[in-house]
Amino acid sequence: MSVTRQEVERIARLAELHVDDAALPVLTEQMSRILDYVSQIAAVPGTETVQPFTPGPAALRYRIDDVRPVPLALTPAQLAPAFRDGFFLVPRLGAFDATAGDGGDTE
Amino acid sequence: MTSIAETASTLAGAASLNALLTPLSEVTASLTEQAARAPAGPLAGMPVAVKDNICTLEYTTSCGSRILEGYRSPFEATAITRLKAAGALIAGKTNCDEFAMGSSTEHSAFGRTMHPTDPSRVPGGSSGGSAALVAAGAVPAALGSETGGSVRQPASFCGIVGIKPTYGRVSRYGLVAFGSSLDQIGVCGRTVSDAARVLAAISGRDPMDSTCEDRDPFQLPAPPENLQGFVIGIPKEYFPPDLDPGVRRACERVIRLLKDLGAAVRDVSLPHTAYAIPTYYIIAPAEASSNLARYDGVRYGPRFNGVPDVRALYQSTRGKGFGAEVRRRILVGTYVLSAGYYDAYYRRAQRMRALIAQDFRNVFDRGVDLLFTPSTPTPAFKAGEKTGDPVAMYLADIFTVTANLAGIPGLTLPIGRVDGLPIGGQLLAPAFLEDEMLEAAFTLERAVPGTDEV
Amino acid sequence: MSWETVIGLETHVQLRTRSKMFCGCSTAFGAPPNTNVCPVCLGLPGALPTVNGYAIQLAVRAALALRCQVHLRSIFARKNYFYPDLPKGYQISQYEEPLATDGQLAYTSPERGAVSATIVRLHVEEDAGKSVHDRVPRSTAIDLNRSGVPLAEIVTGPDFRSPQEARAYLLALKEVLEYADVSDCDLEKGSLRVDANVSVRRVGETALGTKTEVKNINSFAFVEKALTLERDRQIATLEAGGRIEQHTMLFDAKANAVRPQRTKEESKDYRYFPEPDLPPLVVPEQWIAEGHAALPELPAARRERFATQYGLPAQDAAVLVQSRVIADYFETTVTAGADAKPAANWVMGEVLADAKARAGTLRVTPERLARLIELVKDGTVSHPAAKQVFAAMADNGLGDPHAIAERLGLIQVADAGALTGWVEEVLAGHPTEVARYRKGETKLLPFFVGQVMKVSKGKADPTRVPSLVKERLGG
Repeated sequence: MSVTRQEVERIARLAELHVDDAALPVLTEQMSRILDYVSQIAAVPGTETVQPFTPGPAALRYRIDDVRPVPLALTPAQLAPAFRDGFFLVPRLGAFDATAGDGGDTE
Repeated sequence: MTSIAETASTLAGAASLNALLTPLSEVTASLTEQAARAPAGPLAGMPVAVKDNICTLEYTTSCGSRILEGYRSPFEATAITRLKAAGALIAGKTNCDEFAMGSSTEHSAFGRTMHPTDPSRVPGGSSGGSAALVAAGAVPAALGSETGGSVRQPASFCGIVGIKPTYGRVSRYGLVAFGSSLDQIGVCGRTVSDAARVLAAISGRDPMDSTCEDRDPFQLPAPPENLQGFVIGIPKEYFPPDLDPGVRRACERVIRLLKDLGAAVRDVSLPHTAYAIPTYYIIAPAEASSNLARYDGVRYGPRFNGVPDVRALYQSTRGKGFGAEVRRRILVGTYVLSAGYYDAYYRRAQRMRALIAQDFRNVFDRGVDLLFTPSTPTPAFKAGEKTGDPVAMYLADIFTVTANLAGIPGLTLPIGRVDGLPIGGQLLAPAFLEDEMLEAAFTLERAVPGTDEV
Repeated sequence: MSWETVIGLETHVQLRTRSKMFCGCSTAFGAPPNTNVCPVCLGLPGALPTVNGYAIQLAVRAALALRCQVHLRSIFARKNYFYPDLPKGYQISQYEEPLATDGQLAYTSPERGAVSATIVRLHVEEDAGKSVHDRVPRSTAIDLNRSGVPLAEIVTGPDFRSPQEARAYLLALKEVLEYADVSDCDLEKGSLRVDANVSVRRVGETALGTKTEVKNINSFAFVEKALTLERDRQIATLEAGGRIEQHTMLFDAKANAVRPQRTKEESKDYRYFPEPDLPPLVVPEQWIAEGHAALPELPAARRERFATQYGLPAQDAAVLVQSRVIADYFETTVTAGADAKPAANWVMGEVLADAKARAGTLRVTPERLARLIELVKDGTVSHPAAKQVFAAMADNGLGDPHAIAERLGLIQVADAGALTGWVEEVLAGHPTEVARYRKGETKLLPFFVGQVMKVSKGKADPTRVPSLVKERLGG
């Protein structure tokens, strides 16, 4: 099951990863190879029905609702590439618009 | 107890390996500062190097990537806190494949690490820097991380001990996430004892990690006299007809020794072994594609500037900041999670994983205590040999990746050499039975001439 | 061509916890930007989520208040998308296995009367940070204090047939959630946010039309406005022969319009998968019992009881029950001895007006109000005088109503002698009007009564004055 150049471009957009036009053919070929290789699990009997497995605890443990912030050795201002008046700064949203997902906010 | 001067000297001696990312002067200065504050403890004074994808306060954490070049974490991993509480000294950060994605440490943005005895070869990966440094005698132990064998495989290539704990044994808080349901911090050590002592010190419940099991820190077992009473399974799928002859000879020697030591040895089968790599290469990239979405140049790390809008910021930061292997895996991961493909790939792979875990349970539930297998299909390969074809590189993990998928613990120890290149033998145990695995490892270590040619 | 509007609502409600959903940072509103943050809610490398148990308890309580089926085992999932105020590049939410499903909420539709909205699901998730667009030129400023605050998302079916119904449902939802004490539910402050799905179809058609999503509605008034605008836009488009595109529409309050969000090249693919950093969410059975126990009598039941127990008309019951605090206040006033109807009138009148002017503070205790109502009942003060006493009590906070009335000289005079004196004074002072009255203009009676009240400085008992005036005027 090969993947097309258009699909690779679409996936790259979803992943916000710029891919050079020049690199696209090789990348498409490599991704096809990888995806063909991993698709073989589809042929294995039992994989349609058996319950998925994840290791780890069977149920999560709850945290008490107390305010207990983790101390930061560096402040957001010190970590940030661009910071002013207490805010992280990004270039003005252009190709995005004011809301992207359900948690997003417009002013 | 090693002195700081000694450590500085041994680290300097290993400089040509490009295993240590932190400048030596910085390490020495930090060690001096740490020594002044370090408490007495079970690891008193032990210098431990740390893979660069584990957050430390003393040094930067770049994960072998440009996108985190120069990043100083404002918090440290729980494992680091515990190491320090046990008296250990953190001796710098080691080179790794970018974001732990790779099997050779050739995919680091800061150059490849050399194999400790043959610089034309790879030390394995992704924890190649940690393994090489320990093998070179620069430090007695180093932390690494495993997602698909990334501590055991390089430990095997470099001729040292490597341990991956049960999933949930050691806190992942502060381990930069790659494949969350697979990741564990592991230990490279000169000896089983060195590696096990470090593992014991970092293990145990952590309220900061919801996937860390609510268990006491792990206790070291006493090395037994022999292996009387142990039933060791030899899974046939790990001894294919085309297995490297040197690897086969070394393993057969170990199997003889196991019997000599009083263990019962039994042939077993893990029928879904062949599907482990494809399963892994769906799950790990999928989780990675999500875990690496936070690297966007907004809140930390370098930002590639001069862009007109936020989208361009993301695409240029990520396009330039991530290397080719990471970009490939993010794209594969995004694909297998995307609408229309999720069921056929990701969900299918999680089901496949259940079958692989079931294989182990079936064997362990039928009176087998441990499994013995080769750690890697071949000794260390040449640099550049496998970077042409991504899938070829994946196959280097063929014997190690099953333990990550099943969440069970694994250990590699040196069992011989072929033309001077180390070969590793692997023990696999049921979940949370590291003590049995270590008992067998201690005994084997005493009995096996690990540096002899086979 | 007759059109039917079909609306479904998605509400996000901030749960009233002290700390965030997945970390111990404070949720306190109003802190300086990026001060309630930590590795987890900043999305730093190596950080991991831990779940706030109280947030889950509140969500369970909300689900029970909405008569949902609470699933003892549910799964967190990652919703993957890129946005500057979403630090991890994904939101931890729930997808295939949410906390609760299949609930309902009764409300009163202005068009259809008593109806029920279906609550398709209620799940828990984390909030994103805030993006501020015009603070710094050519930049967007990001504050992550809100990142990680616990939210419950409540999704209805396509149940509403008009913007008015949507608004009525939202008011009922706010009421129920306030009663359950799970959230402040303040649309303007953002602790309650609503997005709507709107479509239209010809009356009689069963298939749903293409829907658009309407966002950026931040007041109850705007709910109706925005949905009306979008409905009208869709109808106009279809009547002109056009097609509805599945856009996201943003409500622009200033322009009083809905405009499409700039089109994305492809529709959103959130690539949901189970959150590998969190084991399954298992709700202890005990929390269901505790959730039920923590629920007070809910608004619908309370309205009914007010109507039957206190003999109040439905409208009055509805007003009183709207706020749990006010309903409690009313009942305490009655328990303290006041009759239900006057108590209801006072609460709906003076008490609510004063509270509104004072950001919700109730300045007069129910016991003092009950005492005041008693004074009116036994004629000690007139109703207008009582209002003055109320105002004084509100301002001073202390003081027995009788003492205040005395001090203000408002104790009503019912003494026949004094009253007669004032009546005669008024009649003597207004001979023209007296003559007109005697000629037949009986509608002048209130005028005389008013003059008596004036000359007595409000002290005359207004219930006795009319009969005395009539007597004196011989009519």
